[in-house]
Amino acid sequence: MNYFFLILKSAFFDFNRNKGRTILTSLGILIGVLSVVLLTAFGLGLKKYISDQFESLGTNNLRIVPGKPLQGGSFSGSVAAIRFDERDFQNLKRVKNLQFVIPIFTSSVEVIVSKHKESSTLYSTTNDIFAGLNLKTTYGELFTKNDDEKRSKVAVIGPKIAEKLFGTAQSAVGQPIKVSGSSFKVVGVLESKGGGFGGPDLDSYVYIPSKTGYLFNTDKKFVAFIVKAKDSANLEVAKTDLKSALLKRYKDDQFSIIEQTEILNAVSSIFSILNTVLVAIAAISLVVGGIGIMNIMYVTVSERIKEIGIRRALGARKMDILSQFLIESVILSLFGGVLGLGLAAVIVFFIRAFFPAYIDLQSVVLALGVSSGIGIVFGVLPAKKAADLSPIEAIRYE
Amino acid sequence: MIKLEEVTKDYVLDQDVVFAALKGVNVEIKDGEFTSIIGPSGSGKSTLMHIIGLLDQPTTGKVIVREKDISKLNDDELSTLRSEVVGFVFQQFNLINKLTVIENILLPTIYARKKFDYDPKEKALYLLERFGIKGKEYSYPNKISGGQQQRVAIARALIMNPDLILADEPTGNLDTKTGDEIMKLLKELNDEQKITVVIVTHEPDIAAKTNRSIRIVDGKVV
Ligand SMILES: Nc1ncnc2c1ncn2[C@@H]1O[C@H](COP(=O)(O)OP(=O)(O)O)[C@@H](O)[C@H]1O
Ligand SMILES: [Mg+2]
Repeated sequence: MNYFFLILKSAFFDFNRNKGRTILTSLGILIGVLSVVLLTAFGLGLKKYISDQFESLGTNNLRIVPGKPLQGGSFSGSVAAIRFDERDFQNLKRVKNLQFVIPIFTSSVEVIVSKHKESSTLYSTTNDIFAGLNLKTTYGELFTKNDDEKRSKVAVIGPKIAEKLFGTAQSAVGQPIKVSGSSFKVVGVLESKGGGFGGPDLDSYVYIPSKTGYLFNTDKKFVAFIVKAKDSANLEVAKTDLKSALLKRYKDDQFSIIEQTEILNAVSSIFSILNTVLVAIAAISLVVGGIGIMNIMYVTVSERIKEIGIRRALGARKMDILSQFLIESVILSLFGGVLGLGLAAVIVFFIRAFFPAYIDLQSVVLALGVSSGIGIVFGVLPAKKAADLSPIEAIRYE
Repeated sequence: MIKLEEVTKDYVLDQDVVFAALKGVNVEIKDGEFTSIIGPSGSGKSTLMHIIGLLDQPTTGKVIVREKDISKLNDDELSTLRSEVVGFVFQQFNLINKLTVIENILLPTIYARKKFDYDPKEKALYLLERFGIKGKEYSYPNKISGGQQQRVAIARALIMNPDLILADEPTGNLDTKTGDEIMKLLKELNDEQKITVVIVTHEPDIAAKTNRSIRIVDGKVV
């Protein structure tokens, strides 16, 4: 007769007899595993979402911004905040091997159509922005270089704000909108880039030609440049050249030239830390679940003293009794773990409809490993108590 | 086969209240004997039996199994020796109700260290047939009669081919007729297979059926 078969049979008999208790105990682990796996899935999803967003902003791009935003405290400390101007724009354009240099001025604005008001981010920039960020229209046209020269009062708007203002994206084309008091004609509505979820709401941006934007940007400054090298191999060279161009006017610590991947890494690492902290907090519930298991295993042991005595009389060693109760607590914990994992999978499945959360193999292995581990760690004291019972006292126990 | 020399057993009841359950017992159980330990309730019979059966250790004195002093053995070695030498039969049967009859009988074999030169399952089925409870192998103990349960317990005691069967009031929970059948069965095992049998009882009738009686009163052999 198989050793494990009889131990498992005996375990499952007790689980079955004490169904309510077994389920409640497993529930502790279930909740712990569920929250850890879910949070991890969200973290993974968020990471993927962020990198997708950056991907959609175009690769091979460099951003030139004031200060050292990736080294903490962007404009703080002794470093005086600078703002770029037309002279910088012209200097940068002279750097070799660049596809284009895009000046950017942004401001928060209110966009009004008749009585309807929406807040938005205004991008005053050149038409190169569309190529640089892979922006295409679904309806209408992009504004052109000519629009910039002529300071045309035209706007290209994101699909989300278009729908909010006009009901449908299509009906926005050709219509007038009021941006901070000035009237613009919507010439195009962009394809959706996704977004929201605390990230930039790209689909609600309003883009107007750079020079037209001097309306709002009276001192003609830029908050950033997006620079695209002719090809990715030239990125490093371009970076060096751009830097020396800017160093003619500014000190090294007054500006940064940032690759998209650097931003991506910086943002990802912030979210990773945040996620790790959340997972660690959720892990506390696993410990609580483990204590529940320990508690119930003590109860089980004291209910089965006689059985332990009988087994010892029949030749069971301490080790046999210890492993019997350890196996039971691992099963109990693993049961909760598997249910928690299953429930997490179901929830993630539904969440995927609107957020790219996912459970990776590592989470599965970890969830099962950790719940078995909890069974062992929190089962060992009760099991040891069972094993250390004196055979004679156990068998005499009524 | 088993010899007890000047064995005492004290139970500590309270901090300094000690109860002497056995007060210097000398007993020898020889191979092939059919012996009873008789005495009034509380006289120390069960205590004695548990010491003979290696479930318990004496406070002082020696237990010698096959010329070997067992006081030097650790818990694991005692468990192994117990599993290979002794088969217990209890008054309350002590079967595990969540395992079937056949699983109960085979339970000692899962803890065994030795290699079997026979098939335990075959032996279990043979014993069931021999004891007239064939067909009950997949029943649960609480679904069969007391007499049948005690037969299962005896089969379980025999499954490891022990040298010694220790039965503590084996008929105590049974009616006279069933009790007699159990006694007959134990006697047959002794006659046919030369298994040493020690029966603990407080009934002179039962003791009279054995070949030798060890009388114990107040923790002393008289
Ligand atoms: N674990 C124990 N603690 C204290 N006293 C005990 C314990 N076990 C037995 N005794 C006492 O020892 C005496 C002998 O018990 P026992 O060997 O069971 O007697 P018997 O089997 O002859 O009825 C009894 O008085 C009993 O109360
Ligand atoms: Mg007794």
